[in-house]
Parts: sequence; C-alpha cells; structure tokens
Amino acid sequence: MKQGNIHIRGWSAVTALGWGASEGARRLIAGDVRPAGVCGSSHLVNREFKAFEVPYDGNPLEKSLKMLDASITEAFERGGLSASEIAESALLVGTTGGIFIRNEYEFTESVRRNPGKESPPIVCRNRGPGEVADVIAGKYGIRGLLMTFSMACVSSSHALVVAADLLAQKRIKRAVVVGFEPLLNLTLQGFASLLLYDPDECRPFCNRRMGMQIGEAASCVILEENDSAAAGKSGFVFAGGHLYNDNSSLTSAGTDGEMVRGVVSRTLLKAGTDPGEIIAVKAHGTGTRDNDLSEGRGLAKVFGEGLPPVVSLKGVIGHTLGAAGTVETALWLSCLEEGVIPKSFCFAETDPEIGFAPSQENLPAADGSYLFTFFGFGGTCTGYVVTKR
Amino acid sequence: MLKNMHRANEKDKTVNSLPIRAAGYLGPALIPNADGIWEEQKLPANPDELVQKMMGQPMRRAGRFIKLVCCGALACMSRVSEEALSGRKIGIFLATGLGNIDEILPFITQVFKHDGGFPSPNQFANSVSNSAAFFLAKFCGIKGVILTVSQEELSFESALWLAQSYLENGEIDLALVGGCDVFTPSVEDYRERLNLIPGRYRSAPMGEASGWLLLGGDGEEKIGDILSVEISSGSANAESLSSDDFLKRCEKLAAGGKGISEDDIINKVLLPGFRLANLDEASWRNSGWDMDDYLVQCGISSTASACGLARALLSRQGAFLVHGNFSSSGRQALIAASTE
Repeated sequence: MKQGNIHIRGWSAVTALGWGASEGARRLIAGDVRPAGVCGSSHLVNREFKAFEVPYDGNPLEKSLKMLDASITEAFERGGLSASEIAESALLVGTTGGIFIRNEYEFTESVRRNPGKESPPIVCRNRGPGEVADVIAGKYGIRGLLMTFSMACVSSSHALVVAADLLAQKRIKRAVVVGFEPLLNLTLQGFASLLLYDPDECRPFCNRRMGMQIGEAASCVILEENDSAAAGKSGFVFAGGHLYNDNSSLTSAGTDGEMVRGVVSRTLLKAGTDPGEIIAVKAHGTGTRDNDLSEGRGLAKVFGEGLPPVVSLKGVIGHTLGAAGTVETALWLSCLEEGVIPKSFCFAETDPEIGFAPSQENLPAADGSYLFTFFGFGGTCTGYVVTKR
Repeated sequence: MLKNMHRANEKDKTVNSLPIRAAGYLGPALIPNADGIWEEQKLPANPDELVQKMMGQPMRRAGRFIKLVCCGALACMSRVSEEALSGRKIGIFLATGLGNIDEILPFITQVFKHDGGFPSPNQFANSVSNSAAFFLAKFCGIKGVILTVSQEELSFESALWLAQSYLENGEIDLALVGGCDVFTPSVEDYRERLNLIPGRYRSAPMGEASGWLLLGGDGEEKIGDILSVEISSGSANAESLSSDDFLKRCEKLAAGGKGISEDDIINKVLLPGFRLANLDEASWRNSGWDMDDYLVQCGISSTASACGLARALLSRQGAFLVHGNFSSSGRQALIAASTE
C-alpha cells in the first residue's frame, strides 16, 4: 500500500564516528574516520578481531545503556517532541542481541575477579530482545504500542517499514524506531565462524573485499504521519518502503541479483518513484563476496546505464547488524542536512562481476529521492525511499 | 488501570473480527493438538521423531526451537486443505519472547570455553531468531511478509495485532501467526528471565510450547473468529487484573456484539495468563465463566498464550474465549475470540 505523507521528524546515531548523528556526519564528510581497531571493551575475549567500537572509558554494559539513552535523547531533542507526544508514541525496536551483553559482561567480570579458579558456565539472564523496548518505555514514559523485531541485519530497517505501514493505516500516530546493537562476543565469534571477516578492512563492492567488519551502534528515527509544522520541519519524507523475505537461502540473497532487482523495483513502485528519479543509493554493501555481488548485480539490473552514485557506509562504521537500518538512515540524513552525499570508503579496484565502483567523492546533495537497501540472514530484504524537500 | 485501557486510542489498540481458519499446537509432551503427561524435570524433550513424522525428513542441523516452530505450525497448517492455500499470499508472524536460546547458549558456551572451544557456524546461523521462520517458510513454500516479533510475555499478542494490520492492508491473504519459546536449561534461570516473582504468578510448572493460528479469508470455512486484541499501556499489577474490574471488562467484551450475539454463546471461558495469580475464580464462576487453566498442559513460557488459545479453539465449541495477561512492567493484553 502507498505509505502516504510520512515525515521523518527526528533521528540520531551513536556510532564509532561519535555520540551523535551530526558529529558522525561531519566526520564522515571531512574524511575524519578511523579504520576498525582491536577491540578494547573488557568483555570481549578475543583480541584478534577488529571492530568499530564506540569510544567510551568505562564498563561495556554501562556504555551500551548510555548509547541507547544518548540516541533517544538526541532524536527527541532534534524532533522537538513534548512529553505528551513521547507518551503517545509507538516504540518499535530492531535488535538481534538485545541486552545479551549483560550475560557476557557478568560472566567475564566473574572470571576476571576469580583468577586461577575454574569459571562456571555462562548463564542467560537477559529477558529476550523485547527487554530493550521495555527499558526505553519505562525510562521515557512511552505508553503506546511496543514491538521488537529480531530479524538479523534487517531488524531496524524492517521496523521502519512496518512503522510506515502502521502509520499509513493510521493505527499509530507516531513511531519511535530504535536500532540497538552493542558489540558481543556472540556476534564477533559467530561471523568469524562463518569465515565472513575481512581481517584488514571492510571494502564494500571492491574486488579485493574479503568480508565484513562489525560495528556497534544505537540509533533512533522518528516517523510521523501528519502535516504539522513540527513533523515537516526536517524536510525529509519517508516516501515508501518494502520488506520481503525469500526462502531460497539462509545466508545469501542470490548472487544473480534477481532477488535484489525484484525488491528494489517493488520498493520504487511503492514509493511512486521512477529509477531515474533516484539521486543516490545508500547500499547495504557489507564487503562480503556474496552480498556485494548480489546487490551490485541487482542494482545494475534496475538502473542500467543510469545507475546513480552508490555508497556503503560500512567501511567507516562497520556492519551494525540489527541497528543498520536506523543508524545508516540517521547518518545519511545528517549528511544530507549538511548538503553532502558522502563518499564510499575503502575501495581500490572495480569487481568485473559487479561492473561499477561505489561513489568515490563527496557530492552535493540535491533535493529529491534517495534509495536505501538492506539484506540479512534468513533471506530478508528491506528497501525504502526517503525524499529530501 | 482499566481507565488507561479505555482512554487509549482504540484504533491503535484493537482489531476487527478476524476469521480463524485453523489452529494447532504442541505442548511439552510433543503430541500435536493433544494434551499429554509431562514433567518439568524431563524437559527438554527430544522432538526428532516428531519432526520425521510431521515433516517427512529429519532436520539434522536445526535445534529444538526451530523444530518446535516448524512442527507447531504444521500442526495448524495440516488442518487446512492444500486447495484452500493454493495461490494465496500467506504471511508468517512468529512470536518469541526469549528467542532461540537452545542454540545461543551452546554457541556462547563454546566461545567462552577456558581452553578454547569450537563455536559451530551452523549453530550461530540458526541462533538468529528469524532463522526459525526461514525454515518454516522454506518448508511451506512461503515468501513475502515473514516477521519475527518479540515483546516478552506479550509477544504473541503483538504478532496477532500486527498480522491483522497486514491482512487489512492487503499485503497478504492469510496470516500464519504463532508463538514459540523453549526451555532455558535451568528452571531457576528460566524463571528469572521471565521475571517471575514467587506468589505473583499462577502455580504451574515451567514449560515450552508452540501454538499457531491461520487467520484470514472472509467467507470461507472457519473454526472461529478473533474478535479483538487489546494491548494497553498502564501500570497494571497482579491485583488489578485479578479484580472485579477485569471481570466487568470481560463481561463487556462478551456482550460487545462483535460478530456474535449472546444467544450464540454456550460458554464464556477465561484463559488466565501466567501473571494472573490471584483471580477470584468463584466470582467468575458465579458470573457464568468457565476457567481454562491451560498452563497445566503447556507450562509457563513467554508465548504460552498462543498454545492456550489454539488449544481452546480446538476443544471448545460455541464458546466466547478471553485470554488475559500482562507484562512484568504492567502492560496488559486481552484477546477475545469465539468458536463456531
């Protein structure tokens, strides 16, 4: 269904680039970025993995909750939400790990405090992915619907499309959509076990790419379906989105690009946008062989010779997994607010099977439509279009 | 407490009547659509034979969560003819409170093994909560809207509410909505994860279950209707949802005329969720309500409501059913349904 006149009222992003979306965007635009580094958080047991960590001097559980707080506060302030508007909002969260970091932190602290003793097995005490929404609602007084999507790398991008659908149906008045993903041993070791890491850097769409690198993040995007001055102040409209789940492969979007072509085409249709109207593509671009091949071929099939600039942000913030949807949207919006389409980092050589290079320079950000794509485990795909007015 | 429920924007809290085409469930005894004897101490039960029987093939690389999701859903889907499903756009809405702990815990145990363990890549891929929905979708040949929803003990109610919106907006023709949670190895940890405080939850063993409904398809053969799903904010507690106000609210729902007349109702049945610890059952019975204490059959889990509702839909005819529960932070959920 057509998703109507849905405004993006506020957004935020806490990433390795900084504790706010504007700060992150400015650093991105200036090229003031750092490669993934050896993990410093005390709960991470393997120092061989490089990741994009949010800078913080303190314990990792405390840091994660502060990231969550900082992102929600930034989004509420940017959107100028009153207490009553916050209270009546629906809260949709996308996360894979939830507050699983509590289990990892308590376990590693227990081991650290008892040197030389045999450690007991780790136990799970977190309350599942939905705990994040419950914590946020309790702290900020949100009384509307709570719903959490735990769907791997599309968790928060799916949440954004579901929120837009619910707003279009007028089932909810406003959606606070949160993405939250602290660094976990679980995910670092998990992707390592799948041999999906690039030990040096994350090189989206590059012929030399060898895999992904993980980043941690918390972020928030606020959607609202009305034409009030407050809702429309940002000038960004969620023009339409599409979520789709294939059942062909648990781990691949199909390297022929056909599924990506279908999802992007359907997304554009739902947003009422022609391919020629897309100014730039914020691609998923994980840096893995399969994802970038699927996505690159799919985009080429949709846009052909008219392919607009394609950018992946994962070379500088890493793959933030379930938070990727809201995080990358928020950073992108802040870049557009600065008048810039950021370049794609960590690219050296065109992959002949993909046939194009991601955008290699900052470009002026014109008014118009921008396409966002996300893909994840379980055959999951999300696409949406945001229009800058 | 109930004032909050009434004050809330009804449009974002309720759904219209929704046909139920089929229901199915698995309790911890692992007998499809039937109750059986089980003991908390004997969990986790091995579903491998059941998988072979229901799916016609083993799922060697999958853990118990994925197996219970698939078998529970098939216990529902197998009650509908292939013709009735042919050419229909079916959405899957899987609800889980705690997710695939059955694969997460062994994986992370290997990660933290003192002398270096061997984390299994397959176990990691399966540990992602939506992997179970993927395997179910693959087996049933479903593509499109497949969502894994988690909201603690109101996960199933949230998924049901969301499924209604997708049926209404025409994205799908039918919705396969279910809830599944599996046993966390230690009963004490399991209780802690559900935030169960002694004396504040119904006396029942811990359990695991997979309960499913197939919804949608106006004018076709059905076993009942979902009449309303209400999820309210507020600060409920055990006492408030066990009070006279709750009974009055349910009486109002029963008399609400959402698709049924009072003359059609043979039985009014309350399905009390696991946080309804102190119900004055005598008052309910005096008002003509029967109690269906389904937790005895499936045990306490985050999504036990899915199993309880599916079980009641299959076993009670001409009934008006209300399932009530609330979250540990006080949000309430009521599901009202009727059977043919």
